[in-house]
Amino acid sequence: MSQSIISVENITKSVISNNNELSILKGISFNINAGESVAIMGTSGAGKSTLMSLLAGLDQPTSGKISILGSTISTMDDEQRAKMRSESIGFVFQNFLLIPSLNALQNVTLPMVLRGNEDESSNNQKAKALLKEVGLAGRETHLPTQLSGGEQQRVALARAFVTKPKILFADEPTGNLDQKTAQHVIELLFAMNKDQGTTLVLVTHDAELAKRCQRTLIISDGQCQESA
Amino acid sequence: MKTNKMIINWSWREIWSGQLWPVMVALTLIIACVVALSTLALRVEKVMTNQGRALLAADLVMRSSNPISPSLVDKAEAAGLTISSQSRFQTMAFSEEKLQLVTVKSVETSYPLRGALNLRDGNEVVTHEVKPGELWLSPRLFSILETEIGDSIAIGDAELTITGVIDDEPELAYNPFNSIPNLFIHSSDLDKTGAIQVGSRVRYRLFLNGDLTSLAAFQESYELQPGESWVDQNRESRAARLMDKAKQYLSLTILMVILMAAVTLILTCLHYVRNRSETVSMLKSMGASRAWLRSWLTTQVLIMFAVAFVIGGSLGLLLEYLLRIPLAGILPKELPSVGAQPFVFAIGVALCIGLPALLIPLTRLLDAPAINVIQKQAVQYSKKSWWLLLLPLTALVMFYGTNIQVWMVLIGLLVLFVVLASLSFKFLKLMSQLKWNAAFSLALSRISRSPKNSMMQLAALSGSLMLVALIWLIKSDLLGDWQQTLAPYAPNVFSINISPEDQPNYLKELDKFELPRSDAFAIIRGRITKIREQNITDLAIYEDPEIRILKREVNFTWMDQLPVYNEVVAGEWTGEKTVSVEVEVAEELGIKLGDEMTFEVNSQPFTATVNSFRAVEWQSLKPNFVFIFNKDAVADLPATWMVSFRAEENQTTFVNQLARLYPTVTLLDLRTMASKVQGLLRQISWSLTGLAALGVLAGILLIFTLLRLSLNERKREITLYRTLGASKKRISNTLWAEYGLLALSGGFVAAIAAEIILFGLMTWSFELPTQWHPMMFIVLPLLAVLVVFISLSTVIKALLKPLR
Ligand SMILES: Nc1ncnc2c1ncn2[C@@H]1O[C@H](COP(=O)(O)OP(=O)(O)O)[C@@H](O)[C@H]1O
Ligand SMILES: [Mg+2]
Repeated sequence: MSQSIISVENITKSVISNNNELSILKGISFNINAGESVAIMGTSGAGKSTLMSLLAGLDQPTSGKISILGSTISTMDDEQRAKMRSESIGFVFQNFLLIPSLNALQNVTLPMVLRGNEDESSNNQKAKALLKEVGLAGRETHLPTQLSGGEQQRVALARAFVTKPKILFADEPTGNLDQKTAQHVIELLFAMNKDQGTTLVLVTHDAELAKRCQRTLIISDGQCQESA
Repeated sequence: MKTNKMIINWSWREIWSGQLWPVMVALTLIIACVVALSTLALRVEKVMTNQGRALLAADLVMRSSNPISPSLVDKAEAAGLTISSQSRFQTMAFSEEKLQLVTVKSVETSYPLRGALNLRDGNEVVTHEVKPGELWLSPRLFSILETEIGDSIAIGDAELTITGVIDDEPELAYNPFNSIPNLFIHSSDLDKTGAIQVGSRVRYRLFLNGDLTSLAAFQESYELQPGESWVDQNRESRAARLMDKAKQYLSLTILMVILMAAVTLILTCLHYVRNRSETVSMLKSMGASRAWLRSWLTTQVLIMFAVAFVIGGSLGLLLEYLLRIPLAGILPKELPSVGAQPFVFAIGVALCIGLPALLIPLTRLLDAPAINVIQKQAVQYSKKSWWLLLLPLTALVMFYGTNIQVWMVLIGLLVLFVVLASLSFKFLKLMSQLKWNAAFSLALSRISRSPKNSMMQLAALSGSLMLVALIWLIKSDLLGDWQQTLAPYAPNVFSINISPEDQPNYLKELDKFELPRSDAFAIIRGRITKIREQNITDLAIYEDPEIRILKREVNFTWMDQLPVYNEVVAGEWTGEKTVSVEVEVAEELGIKLGDEMTFEVNSQPFTATVNSFRAVEWQSLKPNFVFIFNKDAVADLPATWMVSFRAEENQTTFVNQLARLYPTVTLLDLRTMASKVQGLLRQISWSLTGLAALGVLAGILLIFTLLRLSLNERKREITLYRTLGASKKRISNTLWAEYGLLALSGGFVAAIAAEIILFGLMTWSFELPTQWHPMMFIVLPLLAVLVVFISLSTVIKALLKPLR
């Protein structure tokens, strides 16, 4: 149990939409150990993204308890969870979500700035190295609009890894990419993940991709099942 | 957060790419306008005060019908004030050939304490003070008395030699009936004239100079004796009234430009917040704390304010310089400095408007939840920062607290807009129920489907159009009014004291010179003695110090027909032994139609019945009278005649010839004065036009921003239509129809609102006659459509770009 980096105890999530209560998650429990890679699968609308946002502390469960790195985030306030995210969590999103007014290099250094690392030259050095690793050396000054989808997602990867997070959440990171580009991004993701020994939580509906993870959780009907 | 270079760079880029730049432009505009206009206003104010004092010849003047007591002089000196005294009286001046009634001003060497006294002697040397033994004559006297510099003139018992001519003097009165040519002697020569005897009418003046506080303290502490009164520069003069209106216009324009810039500011800020909430969610998902976000936004706000202050301040100074160019003739070469006041004022205004306009939406931005990066959610924004609205409100209360006019305008504006915008919205909704072509019905249904949004757009559009119209119309009305009172053919020379024997020949002479002239008017000087059989001394109003007409001699006249330029507001010009009364005096005296009044001329009483009331435009340079009698009422009374005529610059010899031919006729040559006033008007007009153009520009900028923002917000929807297969033509037609309809109805609403507010402002604030401007109902909708056309055509390409 001491190895458990994420522990989820009987969480539910319901939202009010059009005056109706909609139960998205109906009592989910599981543990993820440090260094594990876990795929979360399910049909579209099953609640994968909802679950991930709860795990990452972007939102609060309606009931139940979530602990990350030994602290209970389900009782933390917004600010405490933000601090936790900046210190220990990285993200890769389906729609990349780069800051449009920052260039590639600045997008990558941003998480360090948010953490309070103000040493610009060392930040830049780290970011450049990572951009090189994802094959974007020489594109540092390009703005997101000047990059293709695959390139943007590679910048997002560099951004996610630059702070050496303990946990990386990826929400259908290849959902908006063509197959070949997707493959390239996935290879990079796993390679960097292995390098840094990061715990990976990967939301996907691609079974092939899920197979590359050590474990697979399947969400359906608000419940969660570990696949064999 | 230590501000590192990246954050600053980033803030810059946020400002430019995040559509915050219109906010900066609006802030810059506010600061530039406030700096420019308040600098100008302060300068003009100071110049006016200085000129007013020059006109008075001192900072403060005491007028008395008794000699100034030595104890008063001592007191003034003890208070640290500079003093100079003057006595003036009227007497006959005799040359070898002629005689003339003159005003003698006997002054000390220190005269004047303010203003220019330019005296030119026979050697063309100009000096500025009157020394013992000297005699200086106004230019007119030389021709009337047929004398030259160096000749002797008898004034009372004294024989004095003419030292030279008065080129320029303070205390110039602009009153056709009271101006008798004047001359200066030194006060040490006063006794020699023997003019001051018991019973002679001498008036005394004590001129006082000093700093404002000691002057005020002195004025406060001194108790006026009978026959004494203070004269200060606040006395209404024609030029002062003119400048007052110009200043009123100036501050109104400032207010409107600020209003428009504030709206631009608010709209762009709201737009920014809608656009940037995703970025904030992203930053939050990456762990940005509120504190970090707050300082991130603060950096941007600070940069914007700093840039706006620097650019706006310099632009403001440049603008003031430009607006001042046409005024160069009026303003002295050495301009009074205004110090930092306009800048402080501008910064204050910018903060009062900018802080709430920026901070309220920006604090909302802080509430954008991190979860939005995954799932968009409705957010409950906190209303904590609304207190910032107190800033502009308290500023308004402090500045205009008691100015009911401003509040009326502001509240009226609000009510008007709610009413008009909802009316035109209802109208558009009604239209949507009729049959139209596809584009129009789609557009109409869009408008009526989002009432809040459409109403906002309508209100903002028509509001800015209305302000633009107002700025321009008020300017035109003001200038029109001025132009009218100073028509190029207005009379500029007045001849008074024409004896009945001379009158026919005098008029013939004028006609011989082909000088355009008015009719001749008889002038009978007399008093009012009874109203409705009651002695005026028994009436309560007799004690009212404001009502002076009962205590002085008045100019009466008789006519066959009332002058066409006097509007008869009540009654009719008929009957025997009747009189027509100026309507304001009639009200003051409580006179009604049919009342019998008794008058007295040379101790000879006569009565007349009031048959009508007339409205009189005293400002026009036309002969005007409070009482106009029917001929049979006054025909036997002793009268002199007056006539006014127009003489151009090159007709001066005729005027001089007339003066020589009829030395007993007093000629009042107002040509220099009139052309001076006309020049002043022309110059002010230019500045006002520049100002109005500036306001219009600000308004159009606002409308343009408004439309572009609103179109940008359509982007997503349009993309969707495109994806669903709507043709480009279909979409652009719908957009044209929608914005065209909005522009047309907005323009129409603006025209109505502008007319209503203009009417109110002209009637209560500027006190000018109003008129309708039917052209507005065509021009404003057209202008609106034009601006829509321009903004739509600049963005429509980008909007219809194929999807990637
Ligand atoms: N705040 C919300 N308001 C309304 N419906 C929501 C909200 N959050 C999630 N949902 C709904 O819950 C379901 C699960 O969403 P999500 O977790 O995004 O599914 P997915 O498995 O495709 O990622 C969807 O039907 C979604 O529309
Ligand atoms: Mg999802």
